[in-house]
Amino acid sequence: MKYRLLAGVSAFVTAAALSACSSGAESGDGAAGVTPVDVWLMRDSVSAAFQEEFTEGFEAAHPEIDVRIQIQEWDGIGQKITAALASNDAPDVIEAGNTQVAQFAGSGGLLDLSDRKDELNGGDWLKGLAEPGSYEGRQYGIPYYAANRVVIYRKDLFAKAGIDASAITTREQWIDATTELDKGGTQGIYLPGQLWYALAGFVWDEGGDLATESDGRWEGALDTPEALRGMAFYARLQALGKGPKDSDEDDPPQAEVMAQGQVAQMISTPGGANVVVEKNPELTGKLGFFPIPGKTARTPGAVFTGGSDLVVPAAAAHPDAAVTFIKELTGDAWQKKLAVAMSYVPNRTTLASAVAGDPGASAMAAGAANGHATPNTPGWAAVEAENPVKDYMTAVLTGGDAAEEAARASADITRAMNAGS
Amino acid sequence: MPAVRERPVPRVHRPPKAPPGRRSGRPPRDLWPYALIAPAIGGMLCLLVHPLVRAVVISLQDFRLRQLISGDAEFVGLRNYRTLLSDPRFWEVTGRTFVFMAVNVTLIMVISTLVALMTERLRRVGRTVVLCSLVLAWAMPVVAATTVFQWLFHSEFGIVNQSLTALGFGSFDRYPWFANGTASFTILVVLIVWQSVPFAAVTLYSALTTVPAELYEAARLDGASGSRVFRSLTFPMLRPIFMLVFSLEVIWTFKAFVQIWVMTRGGPGDATTILPVYAVQTALSSQRYDLGSAASMITVVLMSGVLVLYFRQMFRQEDDPR
Repeated sequence: MKYRLLAGVSAFVTAAALSACSSGAESGDGAAGVTPVDVWLMRDSVSAAFQEEFTEGFEAAHPEIDVRIQIQEWDGIGQKITAALASNDAPDVIEAGNTQVAQFAGSGGLLDLSDRKDELNGGDWLKGLAEPGSYEGRQYGIPYYAANRVVIYRKDLFAKAGIDASAITTREQWIDATTELDKGGTQGIYLPGQLWYALAGFVWDEGGDLATESDGRWEGALDTPEALRGMAFYARLQALGKGPKDSDEDDPPQAEVMAQGQVAQMISTPGGANVVVEKNPELTGKLGFFPIPGKTARTPGAVFTGGSDLVVPAAAAHPDAAVTFIKELTGDAWQKKLAVAMSYVPNRTTLASAVAGDPGASAMAAGAANGHATPNTPGWAAVEAENPVKDYMTAVLTGGDAAEEAARASADITRAMNAGS
Repeated sequence: MPAVRERPVPRVHRPPKAPPGRRSGRPPRDLWPYALIAPAIGGMLCLLVHPLVRAVVISLQDFRLRQLISGDAEFVGLRNYRTLLSDPRFWEVTGRTFVFMAVNVTLIMVISTLVALMTERLRRVGRTVVLCSLVLAWAMPVVAATTVFQWLFHSEFGIVNQSLTALGFGSFDRYPWFANGTASFTILVVLIVWQSVPFAAVTLYSALTTVPAELYEAARLDGASGSRVFRSLTFPMLRPIFMLVFSLEVIWTFKAFVQIWVMTRGGPGDATTILPVYAVQTALSSQRYDLGSAASMITVVLMSGVLVLYFRQMFRQEDDPR
């Protein structure tokens, strides 16, 4: 008897293992009449408190839908989304970085939401989110929120040095002020060597770009004189503090470095200030914001318009409930609350007034006037995944020949952008 | 799926209290052993053979993100292999892989042999200390060890820069180790050697203890020096174990991926990109799963090639009349 049982078990295990090879497990639906909606949101997209408030509010308004939100990390998210789109058990709604949507839309893995555009107030969407969310004229990504980088500074350190932050309107004034602050134990600015979004802004200021297109072929453009001037400015600014030359803003997290108290400025989205205060409550009320200064007082510095779109995988089990979810989260009421809670720019121009009173958001809005995007092509995601721009920045900052390194980095960008197509 | 149908029917009526160990009376068709190994075989088929076959198929197809999601891919014959073999970057990576493997394996074999020889000569306390340290280093999880190494060499907060600066080498103040290709490569070699020596040293040490002491005595009476004893006595006797350790280390360093991916992701530039890293970059960053699979296939072939060459050499030496 015992043997038979054993054999049965082993046979069962084998059969189960083999059948697991061929097909994934079926996902069960919830209780009768209730449709579950699986949602992936990104780290720092919503706070725990907002998530709870939203889930409760949504389920009260739509008792037939059960929302299950999962928070994902940005690191390696491209591969996670790819795997989810290829599986037959994809979540119903995914938050994706605005620069990532083109790649997934081009692969045919996303649901075309063009005919829902009116229902979702598509006419007022922010361009910087709506354009990257569309591919070949069809809308796949629904704008969720936008954010761009500003300068977060320490009001007390500025006052001590006798500097008026609101008077800093040009790059040269910014460099002078930062030089003044970079004394004793204080770092004028904490700028890690690989904050390439900031570099992109300086390059755009000079009239250059990361890559240019001609006849459908993209080529890296870091070796143009304009782009080289942008890098030279980055190096000048980076030297006015102790930012590590060989790492990016996440290693170590720059908000935690600023929380230690010796840093007068950092370049970050306004949400970074919340993290600083969370890590060091003594800095409450001591943080201010101003837009990244441009070359002249008339235009603010160019910034990368970051943000997120919400997409529905073609393989989603409950597309209708997914659209209902998107409609609520991107609707007036929740967008206003989200923008205030997280210091984000709301997804529609008509809602901009919601954050008018918030100093971080208004600095961001001022900068957003000169917002730029990374090249809108599926190939750009490959560049970000490999990121030769970061290696280039470190090489130049550690004494490499700028022109030579820029030529090499541009060649790498060209290769990466054209490898996938 | 044979295990499902093949039930051990003949065993049912057998008295369950048959004395253990008396197997001669059993009919040869007894399927019980097969049922027992079936889960292992099934697991292997599922986890090893299935992905391998799949990778071979993908390497012969036009397989990108679109095909991954929609599921229908076209066969293109050997086109992916042709693309790869005509890419100079691929050959650079292949050359670097061999350099990386040769440096690592040589260092691992030399250091672990020396450690094993030393351990054998130590007294009990010293031996215990050395073996314990080896096992502890061995037990350290790969990712944890790699992260610790990353911190050691951090430009701003790393203890290596701090110590070097304190010792008077001012040029190492905030020196960015991972911005320099050669430095990154060297740090990875140190890490992998450090992680691999324990296994090799413990294995070689246990093999050394099996050599009869009389042989050493006899050799010494004949006036053989230490290196002569090793060359003419120890090494020939332990040749199979050396071969085993050598081939395992070749395989392990050839596919060293985790350490590189965690520490440098193949950078700066391509300085630490070896074949497995290249395959993953191609497949996951550029979404060229077909080229990535082809690169993996070539890696397998090259690795087997190295081992076959080495074994042939060894056997030829053995067959030679001494």
